[in-house]
Amino acid sequence: MKNKKDVHQGTLALMALKTLDLLGPLHGYGLARRIEQISGDLLAVNQGTLYPLLLRLEQEGAIASEWGASDNNRRARFYKLTSVGRKQLQTETRDWQQTAALIDRFFAVRADDLR
Amino acid sequence: MTTLRRFLRRLAASALGRQDENRLSEEFEHHLALQTADNIRSGLPPVEARRQAVLKFGAVEALKEQCRDEQGLLVLDNLAQDTRYALRSFGRSPLFALTAVLSVAVGIGADTTIFTIAAGLLGRPAAGIDEPASLVDISGTERDEAFGINQISFPNFVDMRERITTLEDVYGYEPVAEPMSLSGAYGAERIFGHRVTTNYFAVLGVRPTVGRLFDTRASEQPTAEQTVVLTHRFWMRRFNGDPAIVGQTISLNRSQFTVVGVAASAFEGTSLIATDVWVPLSTTSSPTSDLAQRGLGWALVRGRLTRGVSVAQAAAEVETIGRALEQQYLDENRGKGLRLAAASSVPGNLALPLAGIVTLVMGFVSLVLVIACSNLAGVLLARATARRREIAVRVAIGAGRARLVRQLLTETLLLFVLGGASGLLVARGLTAVIVSRLPAVLPVPVALSLALDGRTIAFTAGLSFVAALLCGLVPALQTSKPDVISTLKNEASGVSSSSRLRNALVVSQVALSIVLLTGAGVFVRALQKATSIDPGFDPSGVEVASLDLSLANYTPATGQEFFRELASSVRDIPGVQDATVAASLPTGGPSRYGDLFHPGVRPSRGEQRLPAEWNVVQPRYFSTMRIPLVAGRDFNDADRDGAPQVMIVNEEAARRYWPGQDPIGKVLWRHLADFRRGQDNSPRMVVVIGVVRDVRARLRESSRPQVYLPLQQQFVAQVVVAARATHGQRIAGQIRQVVTSMNNNLPILNTETLEEAVTFTLLPQRLGAFVSGSLGVVGLLLATMGIYSVTAFAVAQRTREIGIRMALGATRTAVVGMVLRFGLKLVAGGAVVGLLFAAALNATLTKVFVGFPPIDAIAFAASATLFLLVGMTACFVPVRRATRIDPLAVLRYE
Repeated sequence: MKNKKDVHQGTLALMALKTLDLLGPLHGYGLARRIEQISGDLLAVNQGTLYPLLLRLEQEGAIASEWGASDNNRRARFYKLTSVGRKQLQTETRDWQQTAALIDRFFAVRADDLR
Repeated sequence: MTTLRRFLRRLAASALGRQDENRLSEEFEHHLALQTADNIRSGLPPVEARRQAVLKFGAVEALKEQCRDEQGLLVLDNLAQDTRYALRSFGRSPLFALTAVLSVAVGIGADTTIFTIAAGLLGRPAAGIDEPASLVDISGTERDEAFGINQISFPNFVDMRERITTLEDVYGYEPVAEPMSLSGAYGAERIFGHRVTTNYFAVLGVRPTVGRLFDTRASEQPTAEQTVVLTHRFWMRRFNGDPAIVGQTISLNRSQFTVVGVAASAFEGTSLIATDVWVPLSTTSSPTSDLAQRGLGWALVRGRLTRGVSVAQAAAEVETIGRALEQQYLDENRGKGLRLAAASSVPGNLALPLAGIVTLVMGFVSLVLVIACSNLAGVLLARATARRREIAVRVAIGAGRARLVRQLLTETLLLFVLGGASGLLVARGLTAVIVSRLPAVLPVPVALSLALDGRTIAFTAGLSFVAALLCGLVPALQTSKPDVISTLKNEASGVSSSSRLRNALVVSQVALSIVLLTGAGVFVRALQKATSIDPGFDPSGVEVASLDLSLANYTPATGQEFFRELASSVRDIPGVQDATVAASLPTGGPSRYGDLFHPGVRPSRGEQRLPAEWNVVQPRYFSTMRIPLVAGRDFNDADRDGAPQVMIVNEEAARRYWPGQDPIGKVLWRHLADFRRGQDNSPRMVVVIGVVRDVRARLRESSRPQVYLPLQQQFVAQVVVAARATHGQRIAGQIRQVVTSMNNNLPILNTETLEEAVTFTLLPQRLGAFVSGSLGVVGLLLATMGIYSVTAFAVAQRTREIGIRMALGATRTAVVGMVLRFGLKLVAGGAVVGLLFAAALNATLTKVFVGFPPIDAIAFAASATLFLLVGMTACFVPVRRATRIDPLAVLRYE
């Protein structure tokens, strides 16, 4: 079984990709706020762990980054989803849904059905 | 796919350096600023807002580290960092780095040189040959002879060639190229021709440059037209690369040979003696009937394995064929067999003993490398000890042990990379020197390739790596687990385990160095003894020229006539006191002309032979060499073919064969050496007519029985003519003139003085003394450096202790005594171990290798004394420094 850290990293990556897909290019802080909003407690603390993750995603080619101007006209790094990233997102989403459906069926089974 | 992409990006980032260090700071700062602003908006005061923002973010520095780790390849980054650090520390102490690299270079260079020589001698001939890995050598074996060059007879060769299936084809060849006389309008010259069967080039896969190579369809029987193939080098040198030489004839040994072609330029032949031309083996001056002699050795054989067959399979088949042939032809092949092994440049069965000698030499040379490495290990240990505060701090902060060990190892590896590369240069220089000195030492040109090829470089790299690990691992492991607390408190550590280790290293250095030094002493003494032995003849003032009549179509009758005339003509040269012709000089030569038995003993081969060294000489041999005649008479003209067979023996032979009796008139049975069909092979009766003093052939101490036969009764084609000049002047030119006037196509193979010949026989001892002497000196130097550095370090470490002692009243003498005792304890300990080890080694080697010098007490004592003196000198500077310690200054400094 994967350990907690890997699961955390995996779901965080998925959430980051989905958020960028939905909302378009964001900078690091914006992304962190949105994820915190949606997932509740997952990214309440240690928000900085997002940054190594973003770097990794960038190296894998799932996202791209560039300098831009933020709301208060400060220089900020904006991340956006690439086509590779979009494809990755679709694949992972389908995998998750399949897994979830399978687990659902197992949890719905009663002892009698298996005899 | 994504992992590969990620890896490549990380690799690129590591290699090219990262320029966006600031990006992280800026980005983090931006995040924190926005979070702080949000916190302020929700009502927190600014300072608290900032604090909350930072808490929520997480550990900034740690996250930055994580990001950096994500960006580059950690391993590469660390390696680069360690290397840069190591280079910087070398820059700070250049002297250390220089001496370290130098001593490593010397050790590795010497080892590589020996390896190159070994590879050249024992490895397969490879230049210009197709797939040399599938070549194998086949030689004959004789039941009672383990080593030697055993040639296979022609009938046996033909049968084997027919029956063998594991080999594609086999060819026959003479062990080495032989001297031949090339004559013509352009003058006479001695060149070297290699006799090989006509399928030689086909089996080896050599192609011609111009013309063609030998016609492989030609049989081995001699034809009317004699052909020759030139080597490319000879073609360039002698005929300026003129293609018109193809089809022309050249005169070799007074016979006409047609040049059919020139071999490819990359191919230099397979003989250790450099080849100029090849002639078919059928072109031999021996009568054709010799080829039909199954019992007569004819040539060595080399073959190529059929594709997919292993050496072991072929060896098994060859052995079986050998046994079958022995059974089939019991008369001639009794006790003989066939043996197959991977091809090597050294002919016959000589490869194994040569390999043994080379291993021995390599072992000795490696001792120097070991001493250099332990020296280096000691110095590295000292340096690490000096840095122990820094290391303790690092460990306290949280550096992993593995990381520290890696960094310390990188320094050592870098030293050995530099040292190994310099070692290659040293080896290149040494091999160049050897190659340039060879012609002066050896009488014939040698084709030995001492190039630094891939094998050598691989060897050097492997050796450097192993040495680096051994050398650096122990100091690295030692110092990476420091006693953190006491080091940080700056407490004085007494004798820590690292200094004990250093002392142990120095003791071992001393021991090994003593081994080398005693080895040098033993060889030098052996050389001394060899040169001081009375040889039994007077070598001064004698000129020697070697001739080979077998190349010039002489019969035994015409040959004897020629020798008689030659000797008397040379005697007529003004300034010549005496002259003679003989098969070999007193320094030794080919020795067997048969077997001797006592009369009354049933003569059967292989049993109860009387041992003897032979020579075949003309009258006046003993007077020319100044070997005293002790009893009886010298040979004279009456002792010719047809007259009763006579011989002269030396005192040792007389003592052994007829103890206490007068040997004159006694009789022995003599069996001929070669079994020849159609010849009278019955044993001959030989009468002793004279006794001469013992000659110490090869300057060994003990005498051997020696017998001399008259040249007129035993024709030998390869002879030396020796002339003693009245005033010791050189008369080589005049001898040459005499020979040329008698037969201007007869090659003079070599001229030298008898003294030079004697010196040449001492070559092994001289070589041994030179090499071991150099190694001994280098080892001594290295060990001295080791003793000095350890003693100096000990004084520096114990400065406080010495200062306190002096303050408490110790005299300077007492301090000197303390330091000297420390140093001498190391030296004495190492010396004792070393002497014991050297004695054991010497005893073993003398048993294993015939001719290895025995244990020499004087040599051992001399080296021990020398080392003690040197050890004391090495302590000199540290002792002075110790006495100059100012106790007040020491006490003041805390």
